[in-house]
Amino acid sequence: MRVAAWLGRRIGLLLLTMLAVSFLVHLALEVNVDAVAVKVLGQFSTPDQRAAWLRENGYDAPFLLRYLRWLGHFASGDWGRSTYYQEDIVKLILPRLAASALLAGAALLVMVPLSLALGIASGVRAGSLTDRGVSLFAILTTSVPDFAMAAFLTAIFVLGLGWLPGVSTMAGGFSLRELVLPVMVLVLASTGYLARMTRASMIEVMGQPYIRTALLKGASPSRIVFRHALRNALLTPVTVIMLQIPWILSGVIIVEVFFAYRGFGTLLYQAALNSDVYLVEACAMISVVAVVASQLLADIAYAALDPRLRGK
Amino acid sequence: MKQRRHVGALASLDGGPLHADVAGLAASLAAGRLDRRSFLRHAAWLGTAIPLGACGKVAPPSNDTLRFVCAIQQIGDPALSAWVEASNLFRNSLEFLTEVDAENIVRPGLAESWRPSDDLKTWVFTLRPGVRWSNGDALEVADIAYNFRRWLAPASKSVNRTAFAAIERFEALDDRRFALHLSRPVCSLAEQLYSATCPILHRDFDRLGGNWPANPIGTGPFRLTRFEVGREARFERREDYWGPAPRLKYIDYIDLGPDVSTHVAALAAGQVDVLYRITIAELDLVRSLPQARLLQHKAAWTLCIRMKVDTKPFDDIRVRRAVQLAADNAQMLQLAYRGMGEVADDHHVAPFQPDFGALPRQGRDVAKARALLAEAGHPDGIDLELTLGNTIGRWEQDTAQILQQNLADAGIRVSLKVLPPTEYWSVWNKVPFGLTSWAHRPLGIMTLDLAYRSGSTWNESGFADPAFDALLDRAMAIVDPHERAPVMAELEARLRDAAVMVQPYWPEKFTAVSPRVRGHELHPSDYFRMDKVWLA
Repeated sequence: MRVAAWLGRRIGLLLLTMLAVSFLVHLALEVNVDAVAVKVLGQFSTPDQRAAWLRENGYDAPFLLRYLRWLGHFASGDWGRSTYYQEDIVKLILPRLAASALLAGAALLVMVPLSLALGIASGVRAGSLTDRGVSLFAILTTSVPDFAMAAFLTAIFVLGLGWLPGVSTMAGGFSLRELVLPVMVLVLASTGYLARMTRASMIEVMGQPYIRTALLKGASPSRIVFRHALRNALLTPVTVIMLQIPWILSGVIIVEVFFAYRGFGTLLYQAALNSDVYLVEACAMISVVAVVASQLLADIAYAALDPRLRGK
Repeated sequence: MKQRRHVGALASLDGGPLHADVAGLAASLAAGRLDRRSFLRHAAWLGTAIPLGACGKVAPPSNDTLRFVCAIQQIGDPALSAWVEASNLFRNSLEFLTEVDAENIVRPGLAESWRPSDDLKTWVFTLRPGVRWSNGDALEVADIAYNFRRWLAPASKSVNRTAFAAIERFEALDDRRFALHLSRPVCSLAEQLYSATCPILHRDFDRLGGNWPANPIGTGPFRLTRFEVGREARFERREDYWGPAPRLKYIDYIDLGPDVSTHVAALAAGQVDVLYRITIAELDLVRSLPQARLLQHKAAWTLCIRMKVDTKPFDDIRVRRAVQLAADNAQMLQLAYRGMGEVADDHHVAPFQPDFGALPRQGRDVAKARALLAEAGHPDGIDLELTLGNTIGRWEQDTAQILQQNLADAGIRVSLKVLPPTEYWSVWNKVPFGLTSWAHRPLGIMTLDLAYRSGSTWNESGFADPAFDALLDRAMAIVDPHERAPVMAELEARLRDAAVMVQPYWPEKFTAVSPRVRGHELHPSDYFRMDKVWLA
């Protein structure tokens, strides 16, 4: 019962956030309606044509009414038509979301085990050579912004060595080779940070009295790490990983645009550049859902890992 | 002597006698006032057949696919197209009455010949026989009449309405011939019919919905089979094409977004074959890549840093003069474009355009600029905001930054407002002070007519001068470029003295292709003909 109430509250919060964001986006993009008409009809349209277009599309109504109208359509699944791509938004967005989910999923798949392994390895014996090495790697990769990382990797693997394709349009269908560079950029940008988090958490846990007790009762080092330390040490990294999901969403925009990958990020970018109002609106809604849902997942995972939280 | 012999061998396209003015051109050529290419260009305007140069080795049709990086823009109605990129797509399927080749010589297109009257006010065109639309219909004079009607209609939004304002009446003569009746002589009419907005559409275009990609009927060598804005477009060879078969089976246009370094990476990795254009920033990279061949050429494209003459503070000519005098055009070329181009003189006609009228260059004069500003009531200098959008590259902003420093010397404090490229085009003709990129036009007079005639659709500065308009009309009636040059010089001087813009330099153009690509001729207007391209 308590869980249901909690879940209900979270979903209610999600809906409220979506409402607020949609209102703000609407306000930002549609308050100057004449600009919308210019975007749709082009720079050479006459004022008369623009006025006629605005009338036909219901833009003569007050802002609030227009917003409510859009909200009604959106809620009923009619997301409108993209003015830039000239296509139905739902049809446009779904394959793009799948493509971005693929990219982000692949990045997480590499990033999570890699950073946990690195973090544990360096956290178990703080100050060791491994620890120093991992820290150096982590600091180096985290301090390079992802757009610069994309340029560096392209310079090395595409222009220099010629091993990998330079763009990832997947024009000829799915290609694993084309996925390598974008995933590599996302992984390198986050792994260091995550490894550092895991390391700190691991060091803290390893200093706890119960670890000493386990050591004194004669448990093997692997038993201590995997049986006693890891579960507690994972609490922080799991939160961080969940917080990384929204971050990946924005990182994905940069990486997708750089590699011309046709995902949600490039779609949002083009929509914003071309003032494609309904498309920006739809993308914003999806982003809100992604952020809030990942937080929800983080809470659930947290509860699963820490029994102390379950009763609360 | 060799030149004279050449002229003697000329004939007109329709087999009739040569136009009266050809003799005058020939005399100019013989007297050495005109070079051979200029002679051929102008003779071609008058319906003279120009022999084709010797053709190199040509490959037979293949099953190859060429991958071309190009922005895929909304096409809709091609006559409204403001983008050269979009025209490069539909040019594969749609044809024009005439064609201007990479040497700037007018060749027959859908019209096999044209004959202007002696006063250049009546032009009779004859259509090529046997041309068929991709839907099986024959090309008729009715198709042509339909196109002119929609271009020139009072409610037409096409830039053709002002570009062809001189056309008073279209007359169908028989099933293959039609006449255009003009209110004033226009010598370059045949050349203008190859503008990006002039493809000939099927007579049912509007009836079928007025959206070309949805119903891509054309007379051209390729058929559009896929079209997704912002993503990709595919053209397939038409086996029933009326002309010589193109070598390529497919052309895939791929939109890789606005970042040119991404395009170069794709070329380096062998994922694409032709880039639309590269900027000065990628030049060194492309030179160092074995997988890329650099193509470079001169064209009359440029940046116009123009001021709106009806908006404060630019309604005061002294302010505009001060801006012009404080600008250091040579420095902008040197620092923002590494000196790869020619310095310009603020009047938008290039010295290498055939109708250029030579004019003493206007030098930089900071002291005079300061004095003019003080006289205009700004003794402590003035604050201006320059809007730009880097629509063809970062070097637009680099140029603006040099200008900013130049103008600071005269006490003009400029702040730059940089918009995303797509944003700029919704304000380009509205902002008081804006930096706009202008595409190449074969003739200076075409640019002047489009951009500076009173009330013209693309007149972004709001410049309006009846005397200038009258001079334009006069210049357009003179065929011999040698005779036209003094009138052009007068036009250029008038425009420069009105100080509507700083037009700093004529940059060179660059692009990169895969070493396998053959026959890709860079056209100064970027009007590419892909049916002559093949892969080795």
